[in-house]
Parts: sequence; structure tokens; C-alpha cells
Amino acid sequence: MAVPSVKYVSQKISKIRWRPRPKQSLQPSDTFATGSWDDEENKLSLWQVQGQDPGSSRLAEEDALAQNEPQLLCEVQHPGNVMDLCFVTQEHIATASSTGSLILYQHHANLQHVQAVQEWMNLHSSSGRACPCTAVATCGEDTVVTGGEDGRISLLSPGQTAPVRVLERADSCTINSMTFLKQAEVLTVNAFGQLKIFDLRQNTDTPAQIFSVTEDHWSLLCVDKHPGQPHVVATGGQDGSLTIWDLRQDRFPMTALEAHASSMWEVRFHPHHAEHLFTCSEDGSLWHWDGSALTSTLDISAKGGGEVNSKHTGHHSPWLGLDASRNKLEITSILPYKSLPVNTLDIEGAMLVCGTDSETIYTVTLPQLT
Amino acid sequence: MASSSEREVDNISLPLPTREHATLRSVWGLGNQLFVYAANRDPPRQSDGRPSARPQTTDILDVRWNADMYGPVTRKLVNESHSVFVMLQGQVTSHTGSALYSQLKKASRKYRSVLKACTLELQAVESCEENAEKRSYYDDQIQLLEIVQLIWSLCEILFIDISPGEMVLTQLLNWIQSHFSYGRQLAEEVIKEEQADTHPAYWQAVYRLLLQGDVDRVRKLLSLHTCNQTQPFASVDELLKKMPQWRTTHAMSLAEFDLKWRHWREECMRRYEEGQFTAFSQLEVVVQILCGDMLVFSEHRDLCETWYHLLISRLLFQHPTVRPTDLSLYAQECMEEFRRAGQRMGDLDNILLAAFEFDLHQVVKDSSTYLSGHSWWFVAHLTDILHHCGQIDSQKLAFGSNLREYLLLQYASGLMSHHSLWQVGVDYLDFCPVLGREHLKLFIESLPLDSERKANKLLHICQERDLSEQAQSICKVMGMRCTDDGRLGSALSWFLRSKDVPAATRLTERFLQEYKEHGRFSHVDLLDHLGPTMLLTKQLTFLGKYREFHRLYQEKDLQAAASLLLALLAERVAPRDFWVTLLMDALPLLETPQVVLGTQQTYELMHCLEELTLELQKHSTNAATNIGARPKSPGVRVSATASTQLISESDLEKLKFLRLALARNLSRAILHEGTIAPA
Repeated sequence: MAVPSVKYVSQKISKIRWRPRPKQSLQPSDTFATGSWDDEENKLSLWQVQGQDPGSSRLAEEDALAQNEPQLLCEVQHPGNVMDLCFVTQEHIATASSTGSLILYQHHANLQHVQAVQEWMNLHSSSGRACPCTAVATCGEDTVVTGGEDGRISLLSPGQTAPVRVLERADSCTINSMTFLKQAEVLTVNAFGQLKIFDLRQNTDTPAQIFSVTEDHWSLLCVDKHPGQPHVVATGGQDGSLTIWDLRQDRFPMTALEAHASSMWEVRFHPHHAEHLFTCSEDGSLWHWDGSALTSTLDISAKGGGEVNSKHTGHHSPWLGLDASRNKLEITSILPYKSLPVNTLDIEGAMLVCGTDSETIYTVTLPQLT
Repeated sequence: MASSSEREVDNISLPLPTREHATLRSVWGLGNQLFVYAANRDPPRQSDGRPSARPQTTDILDVRWNADMYGPVTRKLVNESHSVFVMLQGQVTSHTGSALYSQLKKASRKYRSVLKACTLELQAVESCEENAEKRSYYDDQIQLLEIVQLIWSLCEILFIDISPGEMVLTQLLNWIQSHFSYGRQLAEEVIKEEQADTHPAYWQAVYRLLLQGDVDRVRKLLSLHTCNQTQPFASVDELLKKMPQWRTTHAMSLAEFDLKWRHWREECMRRYEEGQFTAFSQLEVVVQILCGDMLVFSEHRDLCETWYHLLISRLLFQHPTVRPTDLSLYAQECMEEFRRAGQRMGDLDNILLAAFEFDLHQVVKDSSTYLSGHSWWFVAHLTDILHHCGQIDSQKLAFGSNLREYLLLQYASGLMSHHSLWQVGVDYLDFCPVLGREHLKLFIESLPLDSERKANKLLHICQERDLSEQAQSICKVMGMRCTDDGRLGSALSWFLRSKDVPAATRLTERFLQEYKEHGRFSHVDLLDHLGPTMLLTKQLTFLGKYREFHRLYQEKDLQAAASLLLALLAERVAPRDFWVTLLMDALPLLETPQVVLGTQQTYELMHCLEELTLELQKHSTNAATNIGARPKSPGVRVSATASTQLISESDLEKLKFLRLALARNLSRAILHEGTIAPA
């Protein structure tokens, strides 16, 4: 694997997200956004890399490293810590703030300027005291949901000042992360080690389903869904473990794998090669989980396909056969040495970026995946 | 916010009003931080004995120090050097002997390259900055880093990267060349001129370069002179070409080199004495320098700018094979020379002199007093390397640790005081074996917990280092905060995590109280999934089980619900003040068309009821004798504390119903159990 290029950015990075590539575009995106945390002044910043160009793989290693170094496009001060962020559209970024609000920013690519266009104040609070808004997810360009330490879920629509809907008692604990499963189905993970599915069409605050990981109730910190099979979900726990869920199973829906030595802050499936997933942790490590060997016995068709496979392949997802063949799972550590916590990662094309508490952004060119 | 930024100034004045009877008061902030305010000294008492009115001004000043390293550029230095530091500490434990030594040399160079990169970036930022105040701030920072590099590289030559049998002067020359670049700048300007020797600084450039031993450039410049074809110029060029150069690849001993060099110098002297150069007085100076003429060095002292440049220049042409131990003698001479010329010697000069004198303790001590007003970065990192090189004896200081640890603690304290860089500080404290842990404990206790995520990170730090007491306290703080905010579910998760029995008990009582008041459970998503964690406390077990009873009842699994209820009563899991509620819950189970409770179970329930009634009677007689018992307020239930009413009138009434229902159920059960079901 290529040597990661490291950039010191003078801010602890809490979240990193690639800008989605435009629809029908084959060219991978070269722009990503980062949010910082825990400083007196926190920032939302936009960066650009050149290394996404397919021709760059022919470059000598030194040049490739220089190409991979992100260049700051623009930045803006952010009230409170950036707890989570996501791109709503090509140019709109929503950030979840520790002040309990959600802020929508617009990035003008031709002016290289980013500014706040809308703020939903005090979405999350309890007994009058603001609670950090911890998670944000979008579905399409007109639906944004947020979750907070108050256990509330707010449904927002850009342009509308009031929340479309608030699920007041969605959770008794802190919601740590969330994602849309389908159009109206939101998946959340909480500090009590539970995974919940909310059906936004139902007129109730109670989740349609609750899954619990273990009897220890280790907090679940992050979640990502399989890009092709929405019933396959990966979560990372405070104990550093990785759990793969099959949401169609009511009994024994998951396989837990011991992984990092401490809190797993983010887990991401590779968007196009979903047999690969990536995790990062408080212990300062960033791991590549290669599940491609798992497929060979179970599902031959998926291996050749590689690209997003919208059809359900039945029980033949490589990640669901883990229990039987976990020794075929190959795990590699990506960063050269362990330092302070790695908080966040994201993948686009052949490039992985991650942000750390040692105020660095690492850019890694992934090897050719199959 | 005020921050001490003046160098060598111990006093800073605070913008506070001066009044009569006013005094400065202060409260410690986190680490290197004080909150300072003006207060009345010994407030005069008024006639009514109360202190006079409080002072009008309420300004509180946030004073921080050692904050120089936290600018956006210098923070990179902090973070990048942190990774070098941590890696080095790992190597110190895993390597020994020459392997370790080469790692130490490498680390020292890495630190310097990080410093250099930081200086370059500061220069780039400074050149784009328009604000004059900020520019001067950056300028100060650049100068500071230059000084640090100057001292560091000298220390590296003298103490870290030592190669016996080598000429120390070659390294020292590099040191001078990399820190004095004016000569090269001049030369570049001169070369640009169409006729180089008409440039007013032509000869100055030649001398400056020669004094730095940059023979190649000197020859280039001389070749541009109009008269370069004349005999004197050709002669000088030959001398310069012949000048012996020390190269490690030559495999020449110092003695051999010395011999060669003496030959060469004799030739210089001879040609000079022959008067070959009298036609060109400036060229003559060049040859005088080559001859190592004392007088010419004094005359051109100013071209050297500093005494240590002069030192190296003189050594180059007088004693090129000087041994490191002899450096101090020449250093003092050169310093004296500059002092006689009226130059004041500052802190930096004393530090460098101490280094030439091999007095490392003095170097570290002076650097600490001179630079630590800005940051302990330099002394902490340098001393750490010197310590591992065995250059600084690890004698114990009077206050519990050795010099290395003392300086690391100072640096780490600065980091721990920073809003964001505290995570870096933790790693430095880890490598302070004597006092680091205690410092860390104190810092962790005072770090603000503004989100669960931060609390998680702190918990991880505690768990990694076995600081269970601090971990416990973090969970407690988070849990209590959630409790205060009414987020009881989150609070419970925190207390469960820390297995905090008293806090979990109190919280469970609040849950039960809430149930009593509203007749329903909140936080069912939590209570339904407690699992074995409910065994933490008796109350929590009851709460979990009681909620399970409700669920079973809702799910119409009456048999299971009934036996669970009975178990809660019979096994004394339920707190006594909940018995009435539980017994009432049994009522509908007795009234079902199907017999749910068998005879044995009914007997047990009756037994419980009896026990409760007896207790109530005993209590009410007690209460009756107790004068000043609370007046009865029907319909209001109060919790069971001594000398208060245990049960309301309406509940008593209900218990009577229960007795009746139990009797009826018993008869039904006897009948039911006595009947043999038709096959």
C-alpha cells in the first residue's frame, strides 16, 4: 500500500466527508469537507486534492505524495464543535454542532467561499440546557434528520425554518450516529448499545425495531450501511468491536468481531467495492478489512460485479457468512504508526482521507481493489 | 484576554483600575491560567457592621502564559514534534547501544527539520500579512525559532552527533553557514552586476564568504574581477584551490591533515611576504585572512557579526584541527574581543559560550530562563535527547524528579492548559515516570466535559492508564449532569458504565417515584433491555423485573406475569413501600375468568398481605404515640420514612378489596385444582 501523505492542519478533525460526485459523473470527487472540535474557535473547512486523477498512479511516489496533499480551498468559523457533517447537495453542507443546532452552509465553488445560509437553533436541549447535536443524515436534497444527546430526532427540510417533525422521546440515551436505510426509514445507534429503526411514516416516537448488541451495553458510536444491500449494516462500539448486522433476522441478527483496542469512531463500507470496509479508532489506528476472500465460497457473481449492486443477493452477502469463515477476513493497518485518536474517515474513488486528534489529515491511495 | 508576550520582562501590567484599598485577587484556571480581578483590601466596616458595598468594577482578566506555541503555524510544530517524541521514547526502550545512538541522532535532526519547516512557513505567512501588529508577532516568532535552531544545532554538534577522529570544525562551519546567509545574498547581488567589482559591496562579499570558508564562491567572485588575469589574482586563486579541505571520504588522519594544512599556510605566508599582492590592497586582505593574521580578523570583526562567527572563522585559518575540548579557550577570547569593542553580551551569547565550555547544565538552565517565558518546547525536547544520550546526569532534583522530567512536566503543563492540545500533553506526562501520573490525575479532574464524546475520550485515557478513580468521577459528573437535566436514561447508562451503586440506586428510586406518580414507565427502551446489568443494585433489579411484569401482562402472558409478581414479593426483591402497588397489581390477576394463581401462590400472596397489614398496624400505633405526627391528608401517598403516614386511606380500602379477592380466588383455585380435567 502506498505511504499515506500527512498534512498538519492546526485543528483537531472530528469529521471528514467527500463531496458527492455529480450524478452520472464517472470522475471521482476531488473535494472534501472537514469539521474541527474542542478548540476555542472551530472551523468548517473545504479541501481539494489532485491525486484523484487516474493518471496520477503513474507518478513517482514522491510526486504522488505531493499530489495527495490536500490544499485548503476555504474555511468558515463554526459555532461549537462540529459533531457530524454531511453534504446535502453538491454545494450544501449540513453540520451538527455541540451547541445543539444544525447549520446549513453553502459552498460557492467558483468564488471559493463558504457561508452559513440557515441555522436551526436549539434543536436539541433538555431542561432548557443545550445538548450537543451529535448526528446528521440526509435522504435526497430535501430531508435532513438530526439526533442529539437528548435522544431527540428532528426532521428538517432546508428552506423551512421550523422542523418538519420532532420525535421527542426517540431515545432514552444519546444518539451517537444515524443513517437513512430507505426513504422513510432511519437507523440510529445509541449510547446503550442499541440499534433502532424508526419508520418516519408512522405517527409515533417509538422505534419500529430495537436491537441490542451485548449484555454489557457498550455504547455504539458509528454506523454505516452496505451500499448495495441496505439490510446489511456495520456498527462500531466503544469497546472497539465491529458488528455486522443482518436486519432481516429477528433472532441473532449480528456477528461481533473484536477489533480495535478502544472506541471505534467510524466505520465505512467502500462505496463501490463493498467487500472492503474501513474502520478507525481512538487507539490511533486505521484498518482495512478485506472481505473479498469471503465471497469466493458463497457468492461468485458479486465478486466480478464490484460496482453497486442494487439487487438483493439473498443471503449471499460476504459479510453475513462471517461466522463460518472469519479466518478468511484479512485485516491490514494503514497508518505507519499509532498516535492520537483517528476520529473519522471517508472514501471516494481510490482515495481514503482521515482526520485525527493530532491535527492531521492523512490521504491514502488505496491499492487496486477487487 | 491578556497574555504575557514581552521577552525578558517579568512584570506585565494589567488593565485594572487602581483604587484605594484595592488589591489583586486571583483564582487558578486550568494549568497555566489565572483569573485576576481587583478586590477591596480589608473592606472598611460600616456602622452597622456589614462590609461596605462591593467594588463597582467586575472585570475578570484571563491571564495565560507560555502560550506562544499555540498560533496556527507553531501548533504544527507542537503536533509534529509530538510524534517524533513519542516514537523516540519507544525506541529508547527497545534499542540499546549504537542502534539507539543512531536513532537519537535521527530524532535530533527530525526536530530540527520540523523547526526549519515551521520557520519557513512562518516567513511565508509573515510576507503575506498586512497587519503590522501581526507581522511583528510573526517576526518575533521567527526570531525565536532561529535562536532555538542556532542553539540546537550547536548542541547537536557538540553533544549528540559526536564523531571522534573527525574534524569538529567542518560541522561548525556548516553551522555558521546555515545561520549566516548575508554573505551569500550579497554575492548573488554582486554577480548580477554587469561589472561585478564595481559593486560597492564586492569586497565585502568576498571577505564574508571567505570567513565562512566558502572557497568555491570566493573563487567565482574573484574570477569576475576586471583584473582577474593578472598575476596576483592567479596566485590567490591557486592558493584557494590548494587550500586543504577535510573530507570524510579521504580517510586521512587529523595529523596528516594538519601537516598538509601547515604546508599550505607556509606557502600563503611566503607569497604574502614576497609582496606579490601589494598592488591590490583588497586582495592582500584575502591573503592575510588565509594566513590567519590576528590583526586582519580584528579589523574585519564586523563582517562576522557575532563573536561565535568570528570564533569559527579564526579557527578555520588558525587551528582547523582544533579539538572540541579546546573550543572554550578560543571562544572566550573571541567573546572578549567583541566585548572590548563595546558589544553587550546577551543571554544567547552566554548560552552558546556555555555550550562551547561543555557546561550543559548551564546551557539548559540559561535557555530555560531565557526562552521559557515563551515556551518550554525547546528545553524539554533538547534535554530529553541529551538525557538519553547520557550527556546530562540524571541527578535527582530537590523537588522529586530529574531535570528531564522537570522540563517535560513544564512543557506538558502548558499543553494541558490549552483548550485543544491537552491530548498531546497527556503523552508527554506519560513519559514522566515520577510525577507524570499525579499531574495527569489533577489535570483530568479539571478538564471540562462538554460533550459525551469528549468524556469518552477522557475515559479511554483513564482506562489505558488504570486511573479508575478518575474514570469513576468522569462517569459520575456526566451522570449527575444528565440527572440534573432530566435525562434519566443517559444518566443511568453512565452510572451503569461505572458500576456506581449508590448513584444508580438513587436514580432507580427516581424512576420508581415517577412510576408511582404517573402510573407508567418512561425510558422503556432502556428498561426492557437492561439484561444482566440490572443485577447491579437491588432496586434496579426490581425496576427491571417489575417492568418485565408489566410487559408480560400487556402481552397477556398472565401465568408468567403472576409468578414474576409473586417472586418479587416473596423473595423480598421489592422495596417495602412498593408492596401496596404490587399487591394492587395482583388484583386484576385474581379477577380473570381463568384461574391464574394456584392455591399455593394465593397463600403466598395472602402471607405477604398479612405481613404488610401487620406492619402497617404496628406503624400506626407508633405514629399515634408520636406527638407532632403529620396531619393526615387523604389521597396523598408519602414515601415510607419514620413517623409519616405509610399508606393512604384509599389504599387501605383497596387492601380490603384485595383480601376479599384473594379469598375468592383461593376458593376458585381449590375447586380448579381439585377437579380432574376430563380426559
